[in-house]
Amino acid sequence: MSSEPQVAAVFEPQQAQTPGRKSGPGLAKRGAFALVDSRPLLLILLNLLLILFMYLKTGSGFLSIENMSSVALDSATYGILTVGMMLLMIAGVFDLSIGGVLTMTGIVSAIAANDGVPIVLAWGVGIGAGALCGLANGLIVTRMRLNALIVTLATAGIYTGMAQLFSGTGVTEIKSGYETLGQTQWLGFQVPVWIWLGLAAVFTFLAHRQRWFRYLFFIGGNERAARLSGIDTNRVRFVAFILMGALAGLAGVLVASRLDAAVVSAGDNVPLNVITAAVLGGAALTGGSGSIPGSALAIFFLSLIQDAMIVVNVDVFWQQIVVGVVLIAAVSTEYIQHRRSS
Amino acid sequence: MPRLRMTGISKTFPGVKALDDVSIEVMPGEIHALVGENGAGKSTLMNLLAGVHQPDSGTIELDGEAVEIPAESAAGAHGVAMVHQEQSLVPRLTIAENIFGGHPPVGRFGSIDRRAMVAQSVEVLGRLGLPVAPDRLVSSLSLAQAQIVEIAKAVTRPLRVLILDEPTASLSPEEGQHLFRVMRALAADGVAIIYVSHRLAEVFEVSQRVTVLKDGKLVGVRNSADVDAEDLIQMMVGRQLSFAQDTRRVAADAPVVLELVDVTAPPIRNASLTVRAGEIVCLAGLVGSGRTELCETIFGARPIRSGEVRLDGKKLRLRHPGDAVQAGIGMVPEDRKLSGLFLEMDLQQNVAAASLRSFDHNGFVSWNDVRTTTERFVSLLNIRTPSVDRKVVYLSGGNQQKVLLARWLVESPRLLIVDEPTRGVDVGTKAEIYRILRELAAAGTALLVVSSDLPEVLALAHRIVTITEGRVSGELDALHADEMAILRLASPRARLTLDETEVA
Repeated sequence: MSSEPQVAAVFEPQQAQTPGRKSGPGLAKRGAFALVDSRPLLLILLNLLLILFMYLKTGSGFLSIENMSSVALDSATYGILTVGMMLLMIAGVFDLSIGGVLTMTGIVSAIAANDGVPIVLAWGVGIGAGALCGLANGLIVTRMRLNALIVTLATAGIYTGMAQLFSGTGVTEIKSGYETLGQTQWLGFQVPVWIWLGLAAVFTFLAHRQRWFRYLFFIGGNERAARLSGIDTNRVRFVAFILMGALAGLAGVLVASRLDAAVVSAGDNVPLNVITAAVLGGAALTGGSGSIPGSALAIFFLSLIQDAMIVVNVDVFWQQIVVGVVLIAAVSTEYIQHRRSS
Repeated sequence: MPRLRMTGISKTFPGVKALDDVSIEVMPGEIHALVGENGAGKSTLMNLLAGVHQPDSGTIELDGEAVEIPAESAAGAHGVAMVHQEQSLVPRLTIAENIFGGHPPVGRFGSIDRRAMVAQSVEVLGRLGLPVAPDRLVSSLSLAQAQIVEIAKAVTRPLRVLILDEPTASLSPEEGQHLFRVMRALAADGVAIIYVSHRLAEVFEVSQRVTVLKDGKLVGVRNSADVDAEDLIQMMVGRQLSFAQDTRRVAADAPVVLELVDVTAPPIRNASLTVRAGEIVCLAGLVGSGRTELCETIFGARPIRSGEVRLDGKKLRLRHPGDAVQAGIGMVPEDRKLSGLFLEMDLQQNVAAASLRSFDHNGFVSWNDVRTTTERFVSLLNIRTPSVDRKVVYLSGGNQQKVLLARWLVESPRLLIVDEPTRGVDVGTKAEIYRILRELAAAGTALLVVSSDLPEVLALAHRIVTITEGRVSGELDALHADEMAILRLASPRARLTLDETEVA
C-alpha cells in the first residue's frame, strides 16, 4: 500500500485547522530538528554502557582524563571527516577518496613546510590541496553525471598514487614547528579535539538553520523534486564535495602534525571508519536525513571500542573486523526502521 | 451464487478504524465498481482480499466457500489477483518473464521451459489485445501496455476475482477504452471484476453495480443504471458538490503574463501561446503530445533551442528551474511522488522547499516562520493532517496535492503551472482544488493547467489550447467547447482549417 489513506478519515477538518504544538509529536520529534532524534540518545547510551563495562572490568584507569583525552584525540581526525561525509550523505552522495586526499594533503603540506613556506601557510596549503581534490571529485560527479561512488573510488586510487609519488620514501619528516597544531594541549584535550568539536558544533547549527545546508536535505530526499523546486542541485553538491575535500585536507594536516611526519599509510581504512560512523550516527544510505552530533558520538564510540580492545589486549587486527560488523549492524537497524515505518 | 462475498469486515490499524462492518458481494461475470473518497477504506478492503492485510473480524467467501487469505501468494492460489496503482513489474525483465515471474512453465529436469513461456505469453497477450513480442523488455512499454501485462500476469492462472485499483489514472481516453474492452471480455468469461476508481463517468460506463464506502463504513450498493454522478457524490461525500463550468471571463485588456514566442525545444516545435493575468488556460492533448514537456520547458527544466519565453513582457533566461522560480513561476508536476514531494520529510519542509529564501532572517532559516506559514496553509487549503510535523508519505493523495499547491502559494507566483491537478484525488478534494485554482486566478495569478480529464478541462479552463505532436494545434473558448471539439483539435490526424480554430 502506497500511503495511509485511512489516516485522513479520522481527523475532522475542525481538528485539522488547529494542529498547533499540542497535537504535534513535540519539539524533540520535529523533522526540522535533525539534531535531536533518537539516534544520538542511543549512542550516548552505548558509549556510557561501554565505559561502565570497562570501568567495572579494568578499574578507574579507563575513565581517567588521560584515557578519555586519548580516545577523543583518536576520534578527532575521523570526526572532522565524518562531518563532511555526513553532509554528503544527507545529499545522497558519498566520497570514498577521503583516505587518498588525507594522505596526499599531509604530504603536500609537509613538503611545503620543509621547502620554507611559513608553517601556518603550509597548513593552509594542505587544506587548499584537499579542496582542490574535492573540486575535482565534484566536477566529475556533477558535470559528467557519473556515479559518485565509482568516481571517488577511482580518484581515491589517483590521490593515493600521487601521494606516493610526492613522498618517495613513504615517510616525510617535517621540520619543527609544524607539530604544534597536532600536539598542543588545551584544557586537557589536544587541539585537534577542539577543532573537531568546534566544527561539529558549527556545522550542526548550519545544517539546521542555514539555507544552503537545508538544500542538502531536499536533494537527498528527492533530487528531482529538489530541482523542480528551483534548487540548483548540481551546484549544491559540487560545493559539498569541495567542503568535504577541504575537511579531508585539514584532517591530513592534523594527522601529519600529530606524527610530525607525513606517511603514505595515513589514509588507510579511513572511508570504512568514516562511513561506519556516519551510518551509525543516523545517515540514511538513500540520503535526506542524518545527524552530525549522532555521527560525532558514533565516531567516539568506535574509538572507545578500539581503546577498550587495546586495554584488554585484543589483537589490533580485530579492530577492522569489529568496525565492519558495526557497519553492518548500523545499516541493518536502518533497514529495520525503514521496514517498520513503511 | 456470488463469486465473492465479504461479510461484516472490520479492520483497525493503530489509532484508525479503517473498516467497520463492511460487506460486499460480486457475481461471476460482473464488473463491480467500488467508490469512495480517499480514506473511505477502499484500498484497505481490497488489500484484505488480496492478502496484504488480515481482517480483525468478518468472513470472506469465494463461490460459497469460506476462505482465509493469509498472504498475497495465497490470494493467487485462490484465483484472486490485484493490479495495484503502482506497477509491480520488473522493468529490466522481458514481458514473458514478468508474466510468469513466480510460476514459470517447467520443462524436463525442472528447468524453465522458455519456449512454452513465450508461446503462452503470445496467446495471453493476443487475448488481451496487446500484440507485442513477449521478449521485449517491460521498460520499453507504455504505462497502458504495462498495465495489460499486469493483467496478463493475473490470467495465466485460473482467475476468479480481478481487482483493478485506479487502472485508468494514467491512461489516455483511447487506452482507457481498450482496458474496458479487456475488462468486458474477462467478465464474459465469468471473472468477477472489482473496479476501484475516482472517475465516476467510467463507473457508469463500465460497471453493472457500484458499492459506496465512506469513512470505513458501507453507505450502500446501487445498480449503476439507477443512479447518476450527483447521487454517488452525495453518498460518498455526504453533501452536494458542483463541478460546473466557471463562467467568469478575463477582461480582454488584462495584462499578458506569460508569452511564448515560437518556442522550439524538442519535442516542442514552434509553440506560441499567451496566458493573461487571472486567466486559466488548459493545455489539452493526448498522452505523449508534449503537454508535459511544454510545461517543463516554460519552467526551465528543458533547454530551449530557439524562441522566447516572456514573463510580464520580459524575456526570461531559463537555464535551470531555479531561474523560473526566481522569475515568479511555480510548477506542480504531473507525478506527485516522483517529482514533487519529499515523501520522508514533514509538511513544513515540503511547503518551504521552494521558498526557503523568504524564511531567511539574518542569513538563517526561521523554523518558527515556516511552522506558522505551514499552519496557515493547512487551514487555508483544508489539508487534513494531525500536525505539520507529519511526514507527507502518510497523507492521502488529495492532501499531498494540496501540500504541493501550498509550496508555490507561499510566494504568490505570477504564473502557476499545474500538471494534472487532480490525478488520484477524490471528488471532495477535487472540488476543493478547483476552488483553490479559481480563487488564485481571481486574485490575478496566471494559470496554465494540463489535464487528461476532459470534463476537468471544460470545468476549469477559460481558454483551451490543444497540443498535438509537440505543436500548438488549436485554441478554444471553454464556453463554446465540448469534449468532441477538443478531441478533434487534439488528435494527430486532425486537419486544421481556420474555421475550425476558434480564437478566444
